[in-house]
Amino acid sequence: MSANNWTKPASRPQDIDNLVSGVDRYNPSNVSILEDYLYHQIRSEEYDCLANLAILKLYQFNPDLYNPDVVINILVKALTATPAPDFNLCISLLDERTPNTQSDEPDPLPVLLPLLRQLQDLLYKCRFPAFWKTYGSGEYESLRDNYTVEVTGFENAIRQVAIRAVTTTFTRIDSKRLGSYLNLDGKDLDAYVKALGWSVDNAGIISVPPNPDNQIEATVVQEQIKLPQLARVIAHAVKA
Amino acid sequence: MSQQRMALWAAEADIDEDVDLSLAIGNNYGNDHYEDAPIQPQIDGSTLIAMQQHMAQQAAFGQIPDVVKGFIVHFHQAVKDNNLAEIMVAYESGWNKYTEKFYSKTEWPEAEVIAPLVKDDPIFLILYRELYYRHVYSRLQPNIDDRFHSYENSCELFNYLLNSDGPVPLELPEQWLWDIIDEFIYQYQVFCTWRSKTKAKTDDELAMLAESGPVWSSYSVLNVLYSLMQKSRINEYIGAQREGKSVEEINEIVGEYGQKPLYRMLGYFSIIGLLRVHVLLGDFTLALKVLDNIELNQKSPFTRVTACHVATYYYVGFCYIMLRRYPDAIRTFVTILNFIMRMKQYHTRSYQYDQINKTADRMYALFTVCHALAPSRLDDNIANIAKERFAEPYAKMSRGGQDALAAFEELFLYACPKFIIANSPPYEDPVAIQALVSPSPGDSQPDLTAPTQLDATHRHLSLFLADVAAQTPVPTLRSFLKLYTSLGAKKLANFLDEDEEEMVQEMMVVKQASRSISRLPGTEGTGLLQGQTITTSDLNFVIDENMVHITESTVGRRYAGWFIKNTERTQKILDDLKNSPLPAPRANQSASAPEQQQKQAKPTGQKVAWGGVKTSA
Repeated sequence: MSANNWTKPASRPQDIDNLVSGVDRYNPSNVSILEDYLYHQIRSEEYDCLANLAILKLYQFNPDLYNPDVVINILVKALTATPAPDFNLCISLLDERTPNTQSDEPDPLPVLLPLLRQLQDLLYKCRFPAFWKTYGSGEYESLRDNYTVEVTGFENAIRQVAIRAVTTTFTRIDSKRLGSYLNLDGKDLDAYVKALGWSVDNAGIISVPPNPDNQIEATVVQEQIKLPQLARVIAHAVKA
Repeated sequence: MSQQRMALWAAEADIDEDVDLSLAIGNNYGNDHYEDAPIQPQIDGSTLIAMQQHMAQQAAFGQIPDVVKGFIVHFHQAVKDNNLAEIMVAYESGWNKYTEKFYSKTEWPEAEVIAPLVKDDPIFLILYRELYYRHVYSRLQPNIDDRFHSYENSCELFNYLLNSDGPVPLELPEQWLWDIIDEFIYQYQVFCTWRSKTKAKTDDELAMLAESGPVWSSYSVLNVLYSLMQKSRINEYIGAQREGKSVEEINEIVGEYGQKPLYRMLGYFSIIGLLRVHVLLGDFTLALKVLDNIELNQKSPFTRVTACHVATYYYVGFCYIMLRRYPDAIRTFVTILNFIMRMKQYHTRSYQYDQINKTADRMYALFTVCHALAPSRLDDNIANIAKERFAEPYAKMSRGGQDALAAFEELFLYACPKFIIANSPPYEDPVAIQALVSPSPGDSQPDLTAPTQLDATHRHLSLFLADVAAQTPVPTLRSFLKLYTSLGAKKLANFLDEDEEEMVQEMMVVKQASRSISRLPGTEGTGLLQGQTITTSDLNFVIDENMVHITESTVGRRYAGWFIKNTERTQKILDDLKNSPLPAPRANQSASAPEQQQKQAKPTGQKVAWGGVKTSA
């Protein structure tokens, strides 16, 4: 995997790129452009971490702009990037806020933030069955009904997190085990595995296609001598 | 007076509408500004107060030791002549010498007092105040006036540099230019930390903070750094240089400002300054992104000032840790720690040596942290020093478990940057601030010195510790895996006394922990955020349904270092032998004794040795 697509996703429009790369990113009047772009990402299953960090940066400098719904959506999107550090990078920019007493509506972030951090923790620890159980529990209803339901393909994006972990670790995996990681069973699971292009044998064992991470090989690392190491010896020999 | 100065930086509000940050600086700064120094009573309306001030200043002037007066006159002359060598002497040794001698516990004379010595030269007085406040911050306890005035003085300096009619004819040593940027950010950081502690503020302080506006605001600080970068067109300069353009072409590109060493170096240092500011504010990606154009190698111009060189690597390395890119962090620390070790012999007496040493020690701590998380063989030498210095925490961290977390926390808090909160507590809102200062009854006793709940460091710490905690099972699992080439999952779970499914999920964490994004050799110049996934562990495994297969990469014996070292040693011995005089024949010893002594006294003289024979042969 390369970091190129992370620093500049192919789907990022040119005007957003100019904004994110230049000093314009500090201009508070651009926040709505970036917020619109976030909602575009949410609808079309795209993801652009750096652009979203730029929103949080503007919130950090201009507390008046703060919009908790936007923050929560950014964090939800960042969850799907695990095990990349995106979620933490977002939290790093969330300076503690003095509660705004004037506002009529209560700020949902203080309640949801610990829940989101719990989800990120489970994902980062590869506790996928526990993730689905927690995410489906009553406590998370407000997150599901108000936020993740709007994020197109959220659950599939989380499944991708699990698939990435499985791909690196397994050559073959029991379909029941994989099902528990993906929160899928029966026909849904069959369809999902088929869509991945993975094959299943009669006993329900799924073969994970070979990739650089699940091919293991014992190697002996040989020493390589670079020219600069020998520079002094050679220089001396020339002088003598 | 302070009112007038503040007006310039109130331009901050302009940023809101203004796209171009350099424009936001504005030109509403009165040209007559320098004429209102209080030393000239005719400008001050009320003569009586002015007279009193004048007399007090004369008294203060009388107190200054003559050598210091002489020093200031000399210093001023050097600055006026743009005599870099003399400025450097005054700046590096003179100032420190007289600080030790006369001002180790008290302020230097105020700029207004010494003004007659330098013929009221406004530029020198700004530079003098820069040193004056730096001394207050480093040796004494700055009060709120110092904090505000040092900000105003920095603004005057940057305003002079950026908004004069064309590039200013000033020249300063690179070291000083770095110190100006470095100190500016340091004072900003200290101010933010002080500001975020709402308790233990006097009423006067609360009132001043309520009105402080742009003083040390994040936008003001970024504004200065970006303006210096834009004015010097430093990024264009670096780009043009990389493309190998000629001097004329580069001069064309960078314009009249960028051609001058003063602006060019300030531009460079502002990039490093931005790196630091972004780290302090917790924006680790943006911090690395501003360095996109800078090549991290020993040839880069920012390495010419050692303090800058060291700071750059410290902040870059720290960013990599927060990005979970431990191999990159390790490489960064190893490079600079090796450099510091090599330069030790030259720098021990430099006044910055202590500071560099402290930073180095923090980097050893961070290196230890990374090494525990992603063991590598990059540099045994540095690894050994780090393990020796932090032996106990290192042992705990590499064992894993609860003790490990405490050790990670200890080293992180010791070595992390001094994080700040971007915004002020609501000093302008008396009700809100009152609620913060005196919490409702029932809350615990307010601790006057502790930071309030607005503590950035602990936020970053908790994120880092959560990452680390996720990895705590890794060392144990690895130590079991090392013993086998294949092993049933159930059996492994039994060893660990764990549920099989839980253990299999932990195995995915082990796999995850042994992969990292990292910059690859040969990709210099592509930006510090770029990289590819690499393997960070010697131990590799894969799960085939319920069977774990394990392999381990081993390292062949290394010979090169040994042979190179001994070849060099032999060459040196041979050289020494060739250069030493032939032993005098025994018979003549007494006769030629004086001559012999003479020869020994100056061994650099004529060499009657094998070397000579060889060259003539």
